[in-house]
Amino acid sequence: MPVRPKRGLMMPLSMSENLARLAAKIDWSRSDGEEDGDEAAPSSAEGDGDADSQVTTFQQPTWPWESVRNKIRDAYTEVCVLSDVLSIARHKRYMVLDGVTQDAPEPKQIIQVISKKKGLAAAAQILSEGAERMRENLAEQRRNRNNNDFYTELLRLRQKWRLRKVGNNIIGDLSYKQVGSRFWLSGTFEVKKAEENAPALPPPAPGLPPVPPSPIIVTVPSELQGAAFIYVTIRKDQETLCSARLTHPGSTPLPVPQSQHWSDRLDAAQNVLFCKELIAQLAREAVQLQPRLPHMVIGNEITSTIFPGIHLVMGLAHSARPERRPAAAPLPPVPAGPLGDNNYVLEHSLHQLLRHMHHRNMHHAMPHPASAPMGMSKRRRQAGPGAASRGQLLKMVESETLLESIIRQARHVVLRMRTAFAIDSCAREIKDPLIVTHWNSVNSPTQSCCKVNIMTHGYDSVHRTTFLINVLEDSLRCVCRDGRVMTVSYETSELHYIILCQVSQHNLLAAQSLGRIMGWTVKSSSSGQGGGGGGGSDASQTAQSGGGGAASSSCVLSAPGGHCYVAVRCQPHGEPVTVSVAQSPKRDFFPTALVTEHKWEHLGGAFRQIKWEKMEGRNFLNKMELLMANLSSGTGSIM
Amino acid sequence: MIIMGFSTLQTFPLIEGLTGPQTLDVLHKRITALGARVSGQFVVDCETYFSAPSLLPGNSQRVLNVLHNTEEPASVFAILEGGAKQPVLVADTLLDALLPKMAVLYTSNKKQTRIESKGNRYEMGDFVVKLGSVTMSGSFKGILVEVCYLACVVPALCWEMVWEFMQSFLGSTVPSTLPPYIQSRQNATFSPTDTIQMYLEKFNEFRKQTVAR
Repeated sequence: MPVRPKRGLMMPLSMSENLARLAAKIDWSRSDGEEDGDEAAPSSAEGDGDADSQVTTFQQPTWPWESVRNKIRDAYTEVCVLSDVLSIARHKRYMVLDGVTQDAPEPKQIIQVISKKKGLAAAAQILSEGAERMRENLAEQRRNRNNNDFYTELLRLRQKWRLRKVGNNIIGDLSYKQVGSRFWLSGTFEVKKAEENAPALPPPAPGLPPVPPSPIIVTVPSELQGAAFIYVTIRKDQETLCSARLTHPGSTPLPVPQSQHWSDRLDAAQNVLFCKELIAQLAREAVQLQPRLPHMVIGNEITSTIFPGIHLVMGLAHSARPERRPAAAPLPPVPAGPLGDNNYVLEHSLHQLLRHMHHRNMHHAMPHPASAPMGMSKRRRQAGPGAASRGQLLKMVESETLLESIIRQARHVVLRMRTAFAIDSCAREIKDPLIVTHWNSVNSPTQSCCKVNIMTHGYDSVHRTTFLINVLEDSLRCVCRDGRVMTVSYETSELHYIILCQVSQHNLLAAQSLGRIMGWTVKSSSSGQGGGGGGGSDASQTAQSGGGGAASSSCVLSAPGGHCYVAVRCQPHGEPVTVSVAQSPKRDFFPTALVTEHKWEHLGGAFRQIKWEKMEGRNFLNKMELLMANLSSGTGSIM
Repeated sequence: MIIMGFSTLQTFPLIEGLTGPQTLDVLHKRITALGARVSGQFVVDCETYFSAPSLLPGNSQRVLNVLHNTEEPASVFAILEGGAKQPVLVADTLLDALLPKMAVLYTSNKKQTRIESKGNRYEMGDFVVKLGSVTMSGSFKGILVEVCYLACVVPALCWEMVWEFMQSFLGSTVPSTLPPYIQSRQNATFSPTDTIQMYLEKFNEFRKQTVAR
């Protein structure tokens, strides 16, 4: 239907006007069945806003709100249906709501693959760029840290070791030259920066975390690599009497692996240097000295005889290059005893002696004249202007060498052991008077002192014999209570002899003081009556002294009443004490042809020996006490 | 206190028909027959330096004798001749190093002026005997015998005995009086410088002989 619209300016409809216009279109009187035919009219009316006035005028609905009503009714019906459907669907009993599957579009595979590839490549590039950046960053960090580590380690190294820069290298010095050593071997080592990508070291033990590689590499000359120690052994035939091992204090004599920290490796190398210098010095002295029995220097071992049959062996054990030939490393002859047997005095002395020598090389008595050469003693300086003769000059240069002092100390060690053994064996042998020794704990390396107490068990306060043994280098000096000084050679039999003498003297003196306590009188006492049986009144005693020299001693004690005598005779050879008794007058008198009257019996009778081993009593003094008590009680039952 | 005993020094004329070494050999045999044994070598040498003309006014010249004796190995003796006194300097061996630096003042012709007595040293109880052959710039000049008695430091007290001992192997060549240098101080303590002085005297005698010839 052609519609000719009126053209002209119209104001847009207001809300109320619009509602009224729309309401006019609704045909309220129409039934539901008619609504299908009317559908197009409102839709076209809605779509064309400008021509509404014409449409309404044209259709002329029967009732102005009819269409509106129809629409609302339709809507209402639909909403009702929808709510029914929803309520049914909600129970999920009869109906289930399900998504509508749409058919996927036909995939084009090549395009897909290409696009995926492109996407992946882009992602990969981003990732790899990021990783690269991170790696660079990390490397830079590590480089910086390594550098820092290197310098801090270098600083630490410098605090402990002497370093200097030669060209582009850093050279360190671990020799003892700075402190006065004159050893030829140069103890230089080289310090290098470790490579960044050095292979990580294997962990030292499965349980421990891996050690980070040290930023410093220390290169030690090959002759100082490995581990070394000096062993000092005192041997009698094949038996080791005493041994000492000289290593760097605190370090083990085991080879240091290459991978160890620089400080350990340098310590080990310095120890090798020290040991080498010491053995070189000892060997030089051993060759120079000319004792009666020449020292033997074979390879790295010095042997010298300190006593007949006893040798002092000093040697250098150096296991060089342990990493190259671990099996063939020269196994150091381990001293027979365990390391606990280490003689620390010897070890300490060896250390000290070389250091003393270094010290002497460095430190000279002040003041020196500026014109005089360094290192001269004052006497040596004055020798020139004083026209000192050759003999005097020779006397000046004489000084004790290391070897000599070590030999002296070794002698002392041996002698001390021997002395202790001799005294102990005496104490084991002689049961009756107890022999007790006290060794002074403070000794010098070449002198020690031992106090020997001899006393009888249970009679400690009655008498006590004390003497002192000074153990020197090759002789003993025994100082007795009475001021006698005896010098004894290194043969222990002489010491044994002295102890036996002291024991016999102790017995005699103890018997006397016991007698005095019990009111007896000492009639005679003599020590040193020769080896024969002339002393005392013991006629039956005809013992001959085995060694001669040491004298037997005897004493005679008389009872308080003077009616009986006891004679004691002590032999210094370990023979038993003999005791004899004489009584006068005898209680029973039988006149004979010679002695006719009883009064002659007052002159004293013959001594009769007591079977001492049959006597009651724990020990000699106890027996004496019993004997004297018995005799002084006057019963004389012992006879 | 330095005890070194008393020394006397004398020349021993060559035995007729024998050369110097042969004469020394004879003496060696004589003295070893007495029981002495050789205990090394000894050298006493003397170098002479002449003062430069500019050092002293006038025409006078000083002579500096520098002597070494192996008996005193750490010392150098220097004796200055030509003045009223003969000062003796005993110094340590640094003096040898010092002398070349004084070449302007004291010059020396080492090859021609060096004179030394060198030979065996014998020991026999308290006696030390040194048989030295004197050579000057390489040529043999004569024989010097030094006898030292270690047990006494006063010459007058032991001269008789030393004289007797010397006669036992030197024969009648031994003068019966002390050497002239010692005579004036025979009651004083003998010192190593006295030995050196005697050596210098003898060396000067040998030098004069050369001049005479």
